[in-house]
Amino acid sequence: MDERLLLVEDDASIREIVSIGLSAAGFRLITAEDGRDGLAKARAGSFDVVILDVMLPSMDGFEVCREIRKFSRVPVVMLTARADLVDVVVGLESGADDYVKKPFELPELVARLRAVLRRTFAPAQAALILASALEIDPAGFTVRKNGEEVTLTATEFRLLLELARRPGQVFTRELLLQRVWDYEYLGDSHLVDVAIGRLRAKVEDDPSHPALIKTIRGVGYRLDRT
Amino acid sequence: MARRSWVRPGGLRRRLVVAFVLVAAISGGALAIASFLLVRQARLQGSVNARAVEARQDLRLAVAITHREATEFVRAYERTGTHAVLAFPGRTSVPSNPQVNPAIPDTLRSIVRQGKLGYERFEVSGKPYLVLGGEVRSSAAQLYLLFDESSLQGNLIQLRNTLAIAWLAVALLAALIGNALARRTLEPVARASEAARLMAQGRLETRLPAGPPDEFGAWAAAFNQMADALQVKIAELVAAQDRERRFTANVAHELRTPLAALVAEASVLSEQESQIPAPARRPVELLIADVRRLRTLVDELMEISRLDARSEPVHWHEVNVASIAAALISARGWQDRVAVSGGALTLSTDARRLERILANLIGNAIEHSGRDVAVRTGAEGDTCRVEVADGGPGIPAEHLPHVFERFYKADSARTSAGSGLGLAIALENARLLGGTITMTSDVRRGSVFRLSLPLGPPPSGDHPPASQAAL
Repeated sequence: MDERLLLVEDDASIREIVSIGLSAAGFRLITAEDGRDGLAKARAGSFDVVILDVMLPSMDGFEVCREIRKFSRVPVVMLTARADLVDVVVGLESGADDYVKKPFELPELVARLRAVLRRTFAPAQAALILASALEIDPAGFTVRKNGEEVTLTATEFRLLLELARRPGQVFTRELLLQRVWDYEYLGDSHLVDVAIGRLRAKVEDDPSHPALIKTIRGVGYRLDRT
Repeated sequence: MARRSWVRPGGLRRRLVVAFVLVAAISGGALAIASFLLVRQARLQGSVNARAVEARQDLRLAVAITHREATEFVRAYERTGTHAVLAFPGRTSVPSNPQVNPAIPDTLRSIVRQGKLGYERFEVSGKPYLVLGGEVRSSAAQLYLLFDESSLQGNLIQLRNTLAIAWLAVALLAALIGNALARRTLEPVARASEAARLMAQGRLETRLPAGPPDEFGAWAAAFNQMADALQVKIAELVAAQDRERRFTANVAHELRTPLAALVAEASVLSEQESQIPAPARRPVELLIADVRRLRTLVDELMEISRLDARSEPVHWHEVNVASIAAALISARGWQDRVAVSGGALTLSTDARRLERILANLIGNAIEHSGRDVAVRTGAEGDTCRVEVADGGPGIPAEHLPHVFERFYKADSARTSAGSGLGLAIALENARLLGGTITMTSDVRRGSVFRLSLPLGPPPSGDHPPASQAAL
């Protein structure tokens, strides 16, 4: 263990108890009280995961997340105070990898953080995968499109890898939630839908008419090799 | 609805028209009949009077006529267009025209025998005749004159027909005028009932046009006053309800932040329980349990205020009700107490909401019955039915109408683990999915909650755009 985490949370009590809980779980934690401070710390240091509260003074969590994505593919977990769909979707679209609803128990947060961290470890399979113009290198965690490197977050990379390992097979949202996000039961299908959208924006020639990652209505998604 | 049964639109108008027609027909008919009878009486009497003068003259001409002269005498009448019959007692009658030789009725004969001039009307070979008769002086003969009254009768028939046609025309005219009048008179009534119907549908801005200053005008003004008062009252009620809902939502929301800290803190305490000194351990356990209870309450308050605000999105997917039930039962560790039966049943609905409903119903059954719970799934037509039955003590009848009310507890002294919102939330969610929940309870057999949900997806308009946005 010994992963470095950045927690951006304005409520002092939550900040402190999460620090205590995550330290006890073996993480090293840096905290920030507001969005601007959080962004500055994220820029200055290197972290394995950033935990962002949505409601932050000076700059909200979505904006911090969008800023972080401009220079880093570090996994981001959002803490959403409301279970509002809009919050969840906006959070995911701003580049977050996962979210935890407030109130949460510490073990829940730890489980989500571990799941996110697992995605950043190199997978066992190391052979290069080719899918139309894409060249996926599981060992190097890189994707090239027509020879040019495409920057994917760990979640997007895992999602692409999962689909590309069995081209032509339809993956249900539930299966992808299990394989990529480690949700055992009734995960939020928005995680999949938004991540697919972000992935398409990076790898498809025309993201509004995807040729590579197809939506199978009412079922899920499929990657076509040709 | 009962009030529908006696309302027949147009009934009053029909009755008004019928009354109008009846009045016109009866008075018109009475007038026509009376004038016909008067005219007929006058014409017939006039005819008798005129003919009587003629007959007296002819009787004088026939004085002392004998049977031998009879044929010659009566033949003269044929030239004037009148027929005559000379009747001699004991002998045959002598007619002017052998074709017109009626048997003279006894009544007329007996009048004539008394020496009077008599008359009678009867038909001879299909033609109406006025028959006048008298005794010829100085002779045993009786002279009967037969005047053809075809044209008089024809005139009377024509008069009758004309009057009948005029009567029909008056009745028809009365119907038309009555209908038009009734329509005009009742139009404000029709307008008012349409306005009332619109208001009942929630269009509270509906008003009646200010009519002329008559009874209907006053009525329209009173109606509009009522509508104004109603609109203001309802707006106040809606505003009050909105304020109350916003307050609930705000309270729940404000509680969330300290609650989020409490939940996180309690979870850390719970992980460190073994290191807590013995005297503090029980208070810590209680604290953790109470934080969980508070969390449930705030979560449910938030959920019900979102349901009230109708801001809840629904994500329609094909889901299997039996597998959702099985999954939630095992996730909550209820396997030993809950038995699921019924086949795999697929319906188009929101999986999370269905899970919420089932969890609330099953959780409620487990908590209140203290017995095992049976869940049965099945389809009936295009409806999915899920029954949650417990073999518990049932719910006393006086509490049955209130079980879905918020914070309603059958036994006020009893402190239960539930927030008192579980069934209300289940019902609101079922309604959101286009279904409902009903329940029956029996003191011997326990309570049964029945969830009905449509099997198919809702009309496409009901799809919240948000659920499609991310696809």
